[in-house]
Amino acid sequence: MTLSGMFKGFPLKAAALCALALTGGFISQAQAQDGDIRLGIVSPNTGSNARYGSFALRGAQLAVEEINSAGGINGKKIKIFSGDSQCTPVEGVSATQRLIQEDKVGFIIGDICSSVTLAMQPIVENAKVLLVNAASSNPAITYKAGVGGFKWTYRNYPTDEVRSLVVLDYATKQKNFTKFAVLSVDSDYGRGAINFTKKYLERFKSEIISEDYYKDGEVDFRSVLAKIKNSGAQAIIMYGLADTTPIIARQMVETGLAGKIPLIGNGEFNAPATIKAAPTALNGAIEAAAWLPGWDTPRSKEFVKKFEAAYKGETPNNHAYSHWETVHLIAATMKAANSTDGEKVRDAMAKIKFDSAVGPITFDDHNQALVPMILLEIEGGAPSIKGAFVGSIDYPKN
Amino acid sequence: MLNLLGEQLLNGIVTGSVYAIVAVGMTMTFGVLRVINFAHGEYFMVGTFASWFVIEKIDLGYPQSVVFAVALTALLAIVVGYFLMRKMVGAPFENGVLATLGVSLILQNLAVALFGGSYKFFNGGYIEPVELFGYGLAQQRILIVIVCVLVFIGLDLMVTYSRMGKSMRAVSQNIECCEIVGIDVQSVVLWTFVIGASLAGLSGVLTAPVNVSVYGGMGELITFKTLPIIIMGGLGNVRGTFIAAMILGIAESFVAGFIGLQFRDSVGFVTLSLMLMWRPHGLFSLQSRF
Repeated sequence: MTLSGMFKGFPLKAAALCALALTGGFISQAQAQDGDIRLGIVSPNTGSNARYGSFALRGAQLAVEEINSAGGINGKKIKIFSGDSQCTPVEGVSATQRLIQEDKVGFIIGDICSSVTLAMQPIVENAKVLLVNAASSNPAITYKAGVGGFKWTYRNYPTDEVRSLVVLDYATKQKNFTKFAVLSVDSDYGRGAINFTKKYLERFKSEIISEDYYKDGEVDFRSVLAKIKNSGAQAIIMYGLADTTPIIARQMVETGLAGKIPLIGNGEFNAPATIKAAPTALNGAIEAAAWLPGWDTPRSKEFVKKFEAAYKGETPNNHAYSHWETVHLIAATMKAANSTDGEKVRDAMAKIKFDSAVGPITFDDHNQALVPMILLEIEGGAPSIKGAFVGSIDYPKN
Repeated sequence: MLNLLGEQLLNGIVTGSVYAIVAVGMTMTFGVLRVINFAHGEYFMVGTFASWFVIEKIDLGYPQSVVFAVALTALLAIVVGYFLMRKMVGAPFENGVLATLGVSLILQNLAVALFGGSYKFFNGGYIEPVELFGYGLAQQRILIVIVCVLVFIGLDLMVTYSRMGKSMRAVSQNIECCEIVGIDVQSVVLWTFVIGASLAGLSGVLTAPVNVSVYGGMGELITFKTLPIIIMGGLGNVRGTFIAAMILGIAESFVAGFIGLQFRDSVGFVTLSLMLMWRPHGLFSLQSRF
C-alpha cells in the first residue's frame, strides 16, 4: 500500500473508527452503572472442576442478590463479573487480567484451584485489587500473604495443613491404619496436601508405601489400583478432583478393592452423586471438608434452604457456601470500613470479626482466616460428621 | 509378583485395544488422504456424547445408543469429509494440519457450548465386574477386546479382498494411476475417512462406561496418544497399528503400575521421540503399507 493509497478515503475511515470507538464506550457503560461495586469471580467454569466452579459462582450470585435486594452497600449495588480459570494458571491469570483491565473490578474472589490462586497473587498485588480467596487450600497462599509479602491477598478457607493433620489423626487413632498408599491429583493441591501429610507421619507412627499422582483427565486407574492391592496398604490417601473420584471408585469395584481399602482425604466423597456411583467403594471413606450441607447451625441451614430454593432444589456444596459467605464477609467489611475503597477495605478486613455459619471469623497476621475443618465418615451411604477442628499453624520463618 | 505382572499385562491389553480401534481410523485416513487428522479424537468424543445424550435424554438402552452414536459420527464424518477432507488430497501437508486442527477446535467448543463445560456422568454399559484368570474385570472391557479383534479381522479382510479395500490400497499408492484406471478417488477418499471416524466414535461409546466422564475436551488426549501409535506402526499400516497400540497399552500399564501413574502419559511421547530418532518410518517394513 502506498502512502497516498493509505490516505485514500481517509475521512470515511476516520469517521468509521470514531463511530466504532464511541459505540464501544456506550456498550460498556450500559452494562454497569457508575458507582456499582465491581466484584470479579474467578472460577473453573469448564474442565474437570467445572462442577466446583458452577457451585462457587451460584453461591456468590445468591449472596449478591441478597445484599442488593436489601439496598446494597451504602446505596451501591454489587455487580459480578465472571472469569473462567479452567483450573489452569495460564487461563486463570488471563481471566484475572481481563477482569482487572477491561471490567475494572476492584475486588476479586478466586480461584478454587490452588495453582491458579498462587499465580493470581502477584497480579492483584501489582494492580492493588483486593483478592479474597474462598476455596484454595494450599498453605503457601497465606504463607506468602500479610506479613509474608502479598498484602492484597486474604483467605477465608481452611488450609491443607490442618486438613492433612486432621485426616491422618483420625485414620491412625480411630481406625488404626498404619500403612497408606497415595493416589492424589498431580497439582499444587494434591502434592501439597501429601507433603503436609508426610510431615506428620512420624508423629502418628505410620508410613506411605506407594505414591502416585494422576493427571487431570486420567481415566485408567486399573494399573495403579492393581499395584495398591498387592502392596498391603490399608487405606488410600486421596486429595483429588471431584469428577475423577467416581471413576476411581468404579474401578475400585472392578479390581476388587471396594469395601477392603477405604479412601481418606478429600475429593468430594460426601456428594450424593459420588456415593451413588459406587456405594461399596465409598463406604468407610473419611473426608475433611470445609463445610457440608448437614452442618447444624441456624445460619448454615438457612443458606442451604435459600440455595435450594434459588437453584431448583440442588443441594449446595462447600464451595457454594464459602463463596456465599465470603461475599457477605466483604460486604460486612465494607460496612465496617464505611467505604468501598480497596485499600480501606483491605485494612478493615485485618481487624474484622465476622459471624459466619461456622463460627466467628478473624484473620491472623498472614491474612488467613481461622476457620474449622469438618471431619466426616461415610456410613451407610451418607456422611456422618465426626468433629470439627480449628488448627493454628506454625508459619515458616522467612 | 507374577500375579501382579499378569494383571498389568491384562490391563495393558485392554488399554491397547481401545487405542487400536481409534488408531486404525487415523492411520487409514493418513494412508489414503495423506492427512494426519488432528480432529480424530473429537470423533471419539462425538460418539461418546451422542451415546450419553440418548441414554440421558431419550432413555434409550445402551446397545441402541451404540448404533445411534456410530450413525451420528458417520453422518458428521460424511459432512466434514465431503466439504473439507476431500480437498486435502494432493494439497500441501500444512493444509491438512490447519484444517483438522480447526475442525477439532470447532467440535470441542460446540460440545461445550451445547452441553456446558462440566463433566457428565455416563450411565450405561456393562460395568459389572467378572473374574477372568483370577482378575476382576468389568464386562465392558472384555467386550472392547472382542470388538477390537473383530474390527481388525474385518478390516484386514476388507482391505485384502473387497473392491473398496483394493481401491483404498490403490489410492494410497498412486492417485494418478487410479484416475487412469477408473477408480473414483473422491469416493474412496470419502469412505475411508468415514470408516476411520466411525471407528473412533465406536471406540468412544465402547469405553464410555468404564471411563465414566464425558466432556468436550476428552478427545484431545486421545489424538495425542494416537499419534505415537500410528507413527510407531507405520503411517497407513493397519496391522502395524494394532501391534503398536498393544505395545503402547502394555508399556503404559507397566509404567503406571511399577514406576508411577504420573509418568503414564510420558510413555507415548518418549516412544514418539525414540521412533522419530531411530526408525521414522515405523517399526514395520515400509513396503507393508496396507
